[in-house]
Amino acid sequence: MSNCSCYSAFLSFAGVSCNSVEKKIYVHLNYTVSCVRLLNATHQIGCQSSLSGNVGVLHVLESEENLDWVLHSGPNPPYMVILESPLFTRSVMMKLKNGSGRVAGVAVVAPNTNPAEGFSPHTTCPNENTGVYSETYEPTMANCNMTVWNPLGNGLSYEEFDFPIFSLKDDNDTQVIRQCYLDHNRAGNGSTPQYPLCAMQLYSHMSAVTDTATCMRRNAINFSLNPEMVCDPLGDQNVWASTRPLNNTAKGHKMWESVVIAAARLDSRSFFFDIAPGAQSGVSGFVTLLAAAHALRNATQEAQPNRTILYTFFQGETFDYIGSSRMVYDMENKQFVVDLDNVHSVLEIGQVGLRADSKLWLHTDPVSRRNESVNKEVEDLIGNLRSAATGLNVTVDVPGFSQPLPPSSFQRFLRARPIPGVVLEDHQSAYTNKFYESMYDNAENLNVSYPPNLTPEEQLEYITDTARVATMVARALYRQAGGEESQLSSIKADPQIVTKMLYSFLVRSNNSWFQQLGNVISFLTGFVCVVHHDFCCLQLVLNRNCTIRIFACSTHFPPPCDSSHLVPQMYNYMWVQGAAPPNSTEREGYCVRSTARLSKALSPAFDLEQYTSKNFSTWTESRWKFIKGRIFLVASHELEMLTLGVGVGVLLSSLLVTYIISSKADILFSSGREPTNATY
Amino acid sequence: MNLERLPNEEKLSLCRKYYLGGFAFLPFLWLVNVVWFFREAFVKPAYTEQLQIKTYVKRSALGLLLWVAVLTTWITIFQHFRAEWGEVGDYLSFTIPLGIP
Repeated sequence: MSNCSCYSAFLSFAGVSCNSVEKKIYVHLNYTVSCVRLLNATHQIGCQSSLSGNVGVLHVLESEENLDWVLHSGPNPPYMVILESPLFTRSVMMKLKNGSGRVAGVAVVAPNTNPAEGFSPHTTCPNENTGVYSETYEPTMANCNMTVWNPLGNGLSYEEFDFPIFSLKDDNDTQVIRQCYLDHNRAGNGSTPQYPLCAMQLYSHMSAVTDTATCMRRNAINFSLNPEMVCDPLGDQNVWASTRPLNNTAKGHKMWESVVIAAARLDSRSFFFDIAPGAQSGVSGFVTLLAAAHALRNATQEAQPNRTILYTFFQGETFDYIGSSRMVYDMENKQFVVDLDNVHSVLEIGQVGLRADSKLWLHTDPVSRRNESVNKEVEDLIGNLRSAATGLNVTVDVPGFSQPLPPSSFQRFLRARPIPGVVLEDHQSAYTNKFYESMYDNAENLNVSYPPNLTPEEQLEYITDTARVATMVARALYRQAGGEESQLSSIKADPQIVTKMLYSFLVRSNNSWFQQLGNVISFLTGFVCVVHHDFCCLQLVLNRNCTIRIFACSTHFPPPCDSSHLVPQMYNYMWVQGAAPPNSTEREGYCVRSTARLSKALSPAFDLEQYTSKNFSTWTESRWKFIKGRIFLVASHELEMLTLGVGVGVLLSSLLVTYIISSKADILFSSGREPTNATY
Repeated sequence: MNLERLPNEEKLSLCRKYYLGGFAFLPFLWLVNVVWFFREAFVKPAYTEQLQIKTYVKRSALGLLLWVAVLTTWITIFQHFRAEWGEVGDYLSFTIPLGIP
């Protein structure tokens, strides 16, 4: 601790700076991103450190054979292993996991460019237990028996480690760590390294343990002396909007309402906490759908199609379909504006960012298509998509063989009833995404790049995508909703909007376009909010988890929002910060009216308190106190014991000396010759 | 309080109070009784009340041993098996450790 804080003010007058002892010993890590513990009905996954942090001697791993030093031959266990990214593989991590006490922790150095061969810490068969294919619904297609969707998946995200795993950026701070290792810890020419050695301490103690039922029970106990929350259910909010306003206060079945659901997924994840760029797995899909909604804003106002289009953006799909299972549950229980009888068909936009040869694939469910009427509707939808793609330099096709649906939110709708639907993807069979649900699924994965020497504002405007897919989706949705052919040619997605959205979600969210909506705090994913923008389509509302709003259409109101003729059950009204006009610095805000709303995306298992449910997602995330790390030099154990021994010896000897002196005090401290009877 | 300065009747009454108090689930009173009155009961030369004090000290020691045995057994069992008892273990605990089962 700083033991000269009292003197610092005094000394600073004298021109002397104050040096705290702690700063001389420890170098704190600035960028601390670690993996955290997640629990579900049966397991716990992720990492855990001890309460006082895990301390280990640094070792930069050179190759997989070098693991022998860490696991068997190194003389100073436990070791804190620094891994460069080519070594962050399943085999290395599994060997470290079985290190039985010699491994104190792992720090992975994240490279600045993506690895060439691909890396996906997710499982090979995402969400296999909560989709539609199961023992009762076509067991030949369950558990990826027919198609392995994520062949590069190594399942690391779903393993349990009892040491902390942190991620380091490849920058100057990491170079300091490498230099410390080279200076002190390097065993040269077969000699063992001498103390003092460079060590690192990582703190990421997680409070929850065992499984969701245990941690929810411990949350609820208020008999204990210090009640503490140990975990939180994963969940946030879905965003939905409709082309025609729906009465939000009247939940349940709406007569004469036939709805086409256009769905996309918002979230993604990676091995580490709060890093989830999800460019191909999430952003490509919802940006396309948002651009399509923007393209349809005029056509659905002026020449309204028969059916309403319901744009839905689901949150939490990575973790066993939290958002879509909740929406289907609400629809079944009359808690949503429409119910499943109102749903005519579903079009889901999956991963559409990596189109080889501009080819897109339409996936359907072969089991529900065995029914003639469902099959006819699916064929109609496929026909609409094909005809919408003509003239746009985009080809769509069906996979051509009987294949189950890829993991998608549409599967949860199929679990409830056989609805006709299509999932739009850019892969015919297995994923083309080599970095599914990893920290490398970023702008580089989507080939979104900018010429050098552009300012952030210029990068915002630089067109990186031609928005053809969004135009195709918009036209197909319009036809599917029963719109007229004549209007189709006027429906065009704006590449400017698409490019701004891609920049804002993948590169930098704190830009002028987003700032027109409101205070931009931070986004960039995880199962956290995403920001949408465009006065006609998106709005950022900030609360603890930052939520999104999408406006399907908007009309300006003069501020203040005149509340006399507001119709809150049909529309949603919101204040937008707006831009500053050219010759002033004050932003001109205004009210926007839209049909976009939020709906809760919490797994029904938590409302029903079925924490061991097999039907719904039961994922929770543990809480923790702090996550930090620091490096310092450690002395040998013998030196520490010697110092302690010397201290104890000094204490005992001083007690002994004090006792001896006090018992002989009258001899030692005679104050001269005292006359016994002092009479004068 | 210095026992030297008390008359013997008061020593006896004090010992009896501690002995009776220990029956209210207060084994610590018995421990104090044993430690405090040990010298009075067994080391000092005999006086009239010493026999009574001796019985009280002996019985306090017996009760103390019983309590120690029971508590040690229960604490050992609880610390060992709390994690396996799951729900019951959590409901019996005042403080549940974080991060370990």
